[in-house]
Amino acid sequence: MKILQVLMLSLNCLVIATAQAHHSFSAEYDDSKPVKLTGKVTEMKWSNPHGWIYIDVVGEDGKVTNWGLETGNANALIRRGWRKEDLPAGTVLNVEGWQARNGSANANISSVTLQDGRRLFAGTSNQNAQQEK
Amino acid sequence: MNGVLPYQDWARTERTAREQPHRGYDDPTAHCFVAGLPRSMYVPSPFHIVQTDEHVVLLHERMSWRQIALNRTQHLPDNVRLWQGDSVGHWEGDTLVVSSRNFNGKFWHNEVGDVVSHMQTIVETFTPVSATQVIYRATVSDPIPYTRPWTIELPLNRMEDELLEVACLEDNNDLHHLKDVRDEWRAANPGKR
Repeated sequence: MKILQVLMLSLNCLVIATAQAHHSFSAEYDDSKPVKLTGKVTEMKWSNPHGWIYIDVVGEDGKVTNWGLETGNANALIRRGWRKEDLPAGTVLNVEGWQARNGSANANISSVTLQDGRRLFAGTSNQNAQQEK
Repeated sequence: MNGVLPYQDWARTERTAREQPHRGYDDPTAHCFVAGLPRSMYVPSPFHIVQTDEHVVLLHERMSWRQIALNRTQHLPDNVRLWQGDSVGHWEGDTLVVSSRNFNGKFWHNEVGDVVSHMQTIVETFTPVSATQVIYRATVSDPIPYTRPWTIELPLNRMEDELLEVACLEDNNDLHHLKDVRDEWRAANPGKR
């Protein structure tokens, strides 16, 4: 039996290579528009090919805007330590990411910081932020 | 191995065009099509290798798989064209050597649009170097977009984990966003692609 077989036949043995994205980051988001937002979670979608967090952000004028925040896919979040119970509606988050190219209230995010100080990395598809994935 | 793909002029022009944001919609993986080769080997999702005496099967978590036949040396007839191509493998010592062809040429090499044609053929090697790592190398020959063959090499690292379900079409909001970008561009550039 070949060495490769010995290596790969082990139960639960997966292989992972370096990262690229499901779609072009730069087609949808603007690396020159970094955003830092604070808001309350209204919904969290554990979905594919990306998860989505929706938060209400209160602007300086008092107007509330619901932002859509794109993360890596649900499996990527699980593997980075995220759990469904981490983000119930009403949870206050600080997020960092990059705004949509068209200026809409959407962003691809690199990380989420909870009020207890925990910081979760969001599996961003921004190739310029690989060290923060 | 110098980091620059040896493009034919027309293909370099196409590749440059695909960098434009409105072309992001054209990447087949944004529509949840399978990634093709060798892209399937470097998408950001893990895969599971299953081996029998007759096949090596790679189960890619992102909704695709590839079968490497060990029980034949001939490729499928030329009129059979597939997203993942037709792969035939054999052992050279501890290295699995795989020849792939019969691609449909519809996929991109990555999300920035490096070009593939239906003439692509690939020779891959999987060489174990430790209990937790295989060195993967792929030499791509594709005379329509490229002036000469080129080679990539990357480590494949073992994870102690399970394969999870991915349903790419479950909530593919990106496609709407990418279409918006394309439609806005087309509205501003009537008659252009």
